[in-house]
Amino acid sequence: MYRYIFRRTYQLIIVFFLFLVTSYLLFDAIPGNAFQNLLLNPDLPPDAYEQVLALYGLDKPLSERVFSYVVNFFKGDFGYSYKYYPKTPIELIAERLPRTLMLFAMVNIISFYTGFLIGKILAWRRGSKSETWITITSVFSYTVFYPWFALMMLWYFGYKMDWLPIGKFLYPEKWYDSPYDSDVIFVLMIKFTVIVSIIQVLIYVFTKNIESLSLKRNVRFIGFLLNIVGSYFFWNTGDALLKKTYAGDIAYHMILPVLTVTVVAFAGTALLTRTTMMEVLKDDYILTARAKGLSQRRIRDRHAARNALLPVVTSFIFTIVTIIDGSVLTETIFSWPGMGQLILDSVLNEDIPVAMATFSFIGVFALIAHFVADISYAYLDPRIRIQSQG
Amino acid sequence: MSSILEVTNLSMHYETISGNVDAVKDVTFNVKQGESFGLVGESGCGKTSVAMTLLQLQPENGKISQGSIKFDSNEMIGLSENELRKIRWKGMSIVFQGAMNAWNPVVKVGEQIREAMREHSPNNSKSENTKKIRELFEMVGLDESVIERFPHELSGGMKQRAMIALALSCDPKLIIADEPTTALDVVIQDQILKEIRKVQEVFGLSLIYISHDIAVIAEMTDNMAVMYAGSIVELGKTEEIFKDPKHAYTRMLLESTPSIIGEKKKLRSLDGEPPTLINNDNKCLFSYRCPNPTNECKNRELDMELIKISSSHYVDKCCIDCE
Ligand SMILES: Nc1ncnc2c1ncn2[C@@H]1O[C@H](COP(=O)(O)OP(=O)(O)OP(=O)(O)O)[C@@H](O)[C@H]1O
Ligand SMILES: [Mg+2]
Repeated sequence: MYRYIFRRTYQLIIVFFLFLVTSYLLFDAIPGNAFQNLLLNPDLPPDAYEQVLALYGLDKPLSERVFSYVVNFFKGDFGYSYKYYPKTPIELIAERLPRTLMLFAMVNIISFYTGFLIGKILAWRRGSKSETWITITSVFSYTVFYPWFALMMLWYFGYKMDWLPIGKFLYPEKWYDSPYDSDVIFVLMIKFTVIVSIIQVLIYVFTKNIESLSLKRNVRFIGFLLNIVGSYFFWNTGDALLKKTYAGDIAYHMILPVLTVTVVAFAGTALLTRTTMMEVLKDDYILTARAKGLSQRRIRDRHAARNALLPVVTSFIFTIVTIIDGSVLTETIFSWPGMGQLILDSVLNEDIPVAMATFSFIGVFALIAHFVADISYAYLDPRIRIQSQG
Repeated sequence: MSSILEVTNLSMHYETISGNVDAVKDVTFNVKQGESFGLVGESGCGKTSVAMTLLQLQPENGKISQGSIKFDSNEMIGLSENELRKIRWKGMSIVFQGAMNAWNPVVKVGEQIREAMREHSPNNSKSENTKKIRELFEMVGLDESVIERFPHELSGGMKQRAMIALALSCDPKLIIADEPTTALDVVIQDQILKEIRKVQEVFGLSLIYISHDIAVIAEMTDNMAVMYAGSIVELGKTEEIFKDPKHAYTRMLLESTPSIIGEKKKLRSLDGEPPTLINNDNKCLFSYRCPNPTNECKNRELDMELIKISSSHYVDKCCIDCE
């Protein structure tokens, strides 16, 4: 297993190096540069433009620039943003990334669960009327033109019904006299979500070995309730009580984007689950499970769904890879100040250091996700586990 | 001795686009407490269909059109899925024909057995269940480390043994073994047969043993039925049928296997193709393969019906004397 991981890491580094060089060359191929508008200003002396270029090292030949970029990159030096000068790309990403990750982590978890749940129920009720209708709906939301759909959602929930805010991260007027920075609140929300999820996973893991099924169910349910009660106390005591209204405001702004992307994203999972599950239901061990007298639910969840999970998880991990580039569209429509907007912004302004940093970030993210996909695949399928040990 | 299973006039057909496939036609037989009952016939004659119908696990397009299945004196036809669940495995368990694929690939073998036990005796602790699995494994000749293994780590023979252990795990009264030794080599086949025989005697179980190999049936069973094209054509004490086969089809089966009892004879392969089972009437489907058909047979005039020859031997009336 270690050898396998080592080999994969080594491959990853080479692929990443190629990725880096190619991206740099592509950005360089964009005509013009970030400082060209200096030439349009008649008040500036004509050599100012050249001086600025020389300052940023843009007068050097391409090969030299690529070389020094890659060397600096591996030293951890990403340069400075051209547009927000004293800020480095890392600072900009650090500010934007949590917003994107929070939004899309939420979307992905919700859409994976609902998609998988709906998919397996669809396969199980094959041929019924409800199955037909839900399948048609899923196909619709899977194939719908996403920007149009997002705008329709905004129009309906934000304007027509006026239930939810139209875009943005928060209501600025609520934050004028706020003692907190929005990022502080947001980081707190992220920490809270992560801890609650970890507790939930731990409850699940620790109850795994309870033999009696009804006892297991009850213990898990009580654990879930305790988690909810704990969260309630957390937000209603001490420091968090003061931050509650602000956190609430951000959460309120998250609802519509989360809902919209979920509706679009769940359908893929649901349809894929439905197909793989229908295949699995034909397998002999399903018959064994029935012959053993197991309950329908247990056959469905434990035997059929567990085996249908494999391809679904792989495809799911590949969607995670597209979170950040996919966020460009969503964040633009919902004016959500995250990574997606940063990417778009930096490319339009030819802010090369920032664009390069965000792109490399996407690259690293994608490579790691594929790596995780391989490993989780091995975990889910014992038949692969053996081979990857070599 | 009382009967554990009474099957009367049972019929089941598969609905397909090209018509109904009559896989089980008017089948009647009894299995007594503690006895071993054999079901023999060529491939496609409906043996698996009978087994599945007994547990009512036939595929969705398989419809039971008539008959009764009394298990332990209780009628099973018409029971709800939940009532059937209680009988499955606890009352009647099955070793599938394709035991290779009968294991869920992503769940450990021990857990798959424990799961059945958990369903039927929910109050057992995990260690009690595991202890019992160990005992069963010892009996079928498996190492206890197999409990913690995944199915793909076992050989075909080991999977089959584990399957027998699984079938025994809930102390059923009747086990159906549907060609449990196909796809195994001869040595392993022999061991597995012995294993089954031993287990059956130790637990005093009733057994329905299904095979296309009439030699195995001779070795394994007390009573037997010969199946042809969905119907039982000869039924009775295994010994008696072997000594004095009445139906021409039984004789063909016997001549196609190396003899275990009696003198050496030249082997003959089974002549003719099995008939298709689609949209048939109740006339004899054997006439076109019969070595000695009467005019009535050729014109397909005779209805099929089992006739009593002795208190423990029945044969289809069409073939009662086609010598
Ligand atoms: N699901 C199904 N739909 C339609 N026809 C079927 C179905 N299952 C089986 N049959 C048909 O029913 C007949 C009996 O099949 P069955 O599997 O019971 O035979 P078998 O005696 O067990 O044969 P084998 O020795 O090969 O296992 C065959 O003609 C088969 O083609
Ligand atoms: Mg069969």
